[in-house]
Amino acid sequence: MLGKGGKRKFDEHEDGLEGKVVSPTDGPSKVSYTLQRQTIFNISLMKLYNHRPLTEPSLQKTVLINNMLRRIQEELKQEGSLRPMFVTASQPADPLSDNFREAQPPFSHLSSPPLLPTDLVSTMPLESCLTPASLLEDDTFCTSPTVQHDGPTKPPPPALQAVKDSFSSALDEIEELCPAPTSAEAVAADAAAEGSKAHPSESNIHRAEGLPESRTADSKLMDSLPGNFEITASTGFLTDLTLDDILFADIDTSMYDFDPCTSATGAASKMAPVSADELLKTLAPYSSQPVTPNQPFKMDLTELDHIMEVLVGS
Amino acid sequence: FVGAGGGNDIQWCFSQVKGAVDDDVAEADIISTVEFNHSGELLATGDKGGRVVIFQQEQENKTQSHSRGEYNVYSTFQSHEPEFDYLKSLEIEEKINKIRWLPQKNAAQFLLSTNDKTIKLWKISERDKRPEGYNLKEEDGRYRDPTTVTTLRVPVFRPMDLMVEASPRRIFANAHTYHINSISINSDYETYLSADDLRINLWHLEITDRSFNIVDIKPANMEELTEVITAAEFHPNSCSTFVYSSSKGTIRLCDMRASALCDRHSKLFEEPEDPSNRSFFSEIISSISDVKFSHSGRYMMTRDYLSVKIWDLNMENRPVETYQVHEYLRSKLCSLYENDCIFDKFECCWNGLDRQAAFPTDVLLCSSPSCSIVMTGSYNNFFRMFDRNTKRDVTLEASRENNKPRTVLKPRKVCASGKRKKDEISVDSLDFNKKILHTAWHPKENIIAVATTNNLYIFQDKMN
Repeated sequence: MLGKGGKRKFDEHEDGLEGKVVSPTDGPSKVSYTLQRQTIFNISLMKLYNHRPLTEPSLQKTVLINNMLRRIQEELKQEGSLRPMFVTASQPADPLSDNFREAQPPFSHLSSPPLLPTDLVSTMPLESCLTPASLLEDDTFCTSPTVQHDGPTKPPPPALQAVKDSFSSALDEIEELCPAPTSAEAVAADAAAEGSKAHPSESNIHRAEGLPESRTADSKLMDSLPGNFEITASTGFLTDLTLDDILFADIDTSMYDFDPCTSATGAASKMAPVSADELLKTLAPYSSQPVTPNQPFKMDLTELDHIMEVLVGS
Repeated sequence: FVGAGGGNDIQWCFSQVKGAVDDDVAEADIISTVEFNHSGELLATGDKGGRVVIFQQEQENKTQSHSRGEYNVYSTFQSHEPEFDYLKSLEIEEKINKIRWLPQKNAAQFLLSTNDKTIKLWKISERDKRPEGYNLKEEDGRYRDPTTVTTLRVPVFRPMDLMVEASPRRIFANAHTYHINSISINSDYETYLSADDLRINLWHLEITDRSFNIVDIKPANMEELTEVITAAEFHPNSCSTFVYSSSKGTIRLCDMRASALCDRHSKLFEEPEDPSNRSFFSEIISSISDVKFSHSGRYMMTRDYLSVKIWDLNMENRPVETYQVHEYLRSKLCSLYENDCIFDKFECCWNGLDRQAAFPTDVLLCSSPSCSIVMTGSYNNFFRMFDRNTKRDVTLEASRENNKPRTVLKPRKVCASGKRKKDEISVDSLDFNKKILHTAWHPKENIIAVATTNNLYIFQDKMN
């Protein structure tokens, strides 16, 4: 990091490399270019998703970071498409040029293999993903990638990597905990679930199964929520990433609201306090089902259990 | 600097510093804008706490001919308060983004101040007399018993201690969905524009309940948004012409006579990218943070992250001059991206007309004709000046160490690479928390106001 009194490193080295255009085909520079790109991608993601300010984030900053991510995504996509071909074809359209503007809107990527952050992040060894930028700053950043690929620069990204870094596994955990509802869906689910406590479990299952559908619905719902949309607009571009739904959507608290006085089911119906046992009974049938579809739901049960204990004090 | 007249360097001397001394900066005291009025007599600052502080230059003392008048606090008022947007559950900052003075028409002064969402027109007026001797009222304001009134007397004005009052005369609200970054008063002095990230609105100073939208770059699908408006300004002479800059480094000149909605520009100013300098951060550093017309309106100046560019309005494909502010940062862009410094919005300004010149319109005799020098800020409390005629530049520092009035500021130098000479500062030693974003130049004299994080420095040229 830059600060006062820091020792300068690689003076001579820097003199030589500053301003020179280095082709990524040079062995070490190519790796460093990829490393640098990876670092910038990670930093950009962190900026977009870790920042929860009290005031509205700067639209200019969000747009610039978004453009950066899109550009890197485009580059990777083009590198990915070129990988099977060893032919030194004519240079593909410069990723840094206007082509990235033609990137399809994120929600149309449902059919094609999405570029999950895990793909991009997990291809690098654990340590290098979080390389401090200061170590890279003396290297040449002023390179544009040329087409030459001697071979695959990295193994083709499978859907899941054995080695995941902390960031992608954190993402996975979050996704598992909250199968992507949108805030509107959550609200609708809340309203439907108010009367009977059994319903939330159903809607949870629906959400888990209906992920692809919910994503197309997402785009429409996003449009209809101007406030939310303005904030999350640029953050929602990463195809599969439902993080924006998770971070910005209302958390479904209907299951945790046990106060019979605040239940919205109309004055006429009898308000019986729901005990923890009753609740668990209604949910019990689902726990016997096969593991895979209920994997996320099982986590909900454990969470619910814990929360029930805390509330009831048993 | 060596002027055309020969040997007239501007030697800058420390004059004053305003603001708290301690290193612990209160967030509310962070200065967010600085602006001289049209005569230069008043200097306004806005801060993050929503306050406006106006300094007034004291009348020059004939006996103290070695210095120009000092600036003292004239008025302080709370311009904007923090608000809460209930729809989005977000706070609206009270930080003053811009202040623009109206030209003086009567005894009172008027200025526009804006935060992210609301523009206000403030009237600053003096009261130095008060009526005394009412017939029906006591001095404390209580009404006298009518039966005790036996004579008639008319109140007279008697002098009182000067009181400066600021009152909001107009509030222009609810016209911007996004954050206002610029306001600019038209040369007709009746209308002004306000620009946010995606839209520019035209207002009449007298009318607060409606404004005209003249630029709208919001795409139908927000996901396609890749470019935002960063600054806008009216042409100083042509009341139907304005420019706006973008985050992609372009400037568009628009003519309001062409159409009601100026979505199609009349001119597009853009410099093609230098391929040898291309990097991941090319777009971000090309984002323009400020645009200022020259006084004649023939030229305009833009500031992006690393440079200042002068454009001739008659040439769209490249600037006529480019000045590097801190090129040594180019190899540090990744770190600066990480710590967000790369998003810092530096402003720039032209010099005014030097009053010392005998015939201001005669370039040969003028030591520094108007718009021949540009000034902008940098890090480590450094600021830079570029002389367009001599092509010389200087780096100066705003710090309390150079505290003695009439001591000439020592030029600073940053060592980019190689062996660091004595008195030079290496790039790694720069303090990136000490940034000078806002500077202003007196319209008629060689007096400059430079804002560090929470202090306002005033420098003057050394008068002999």
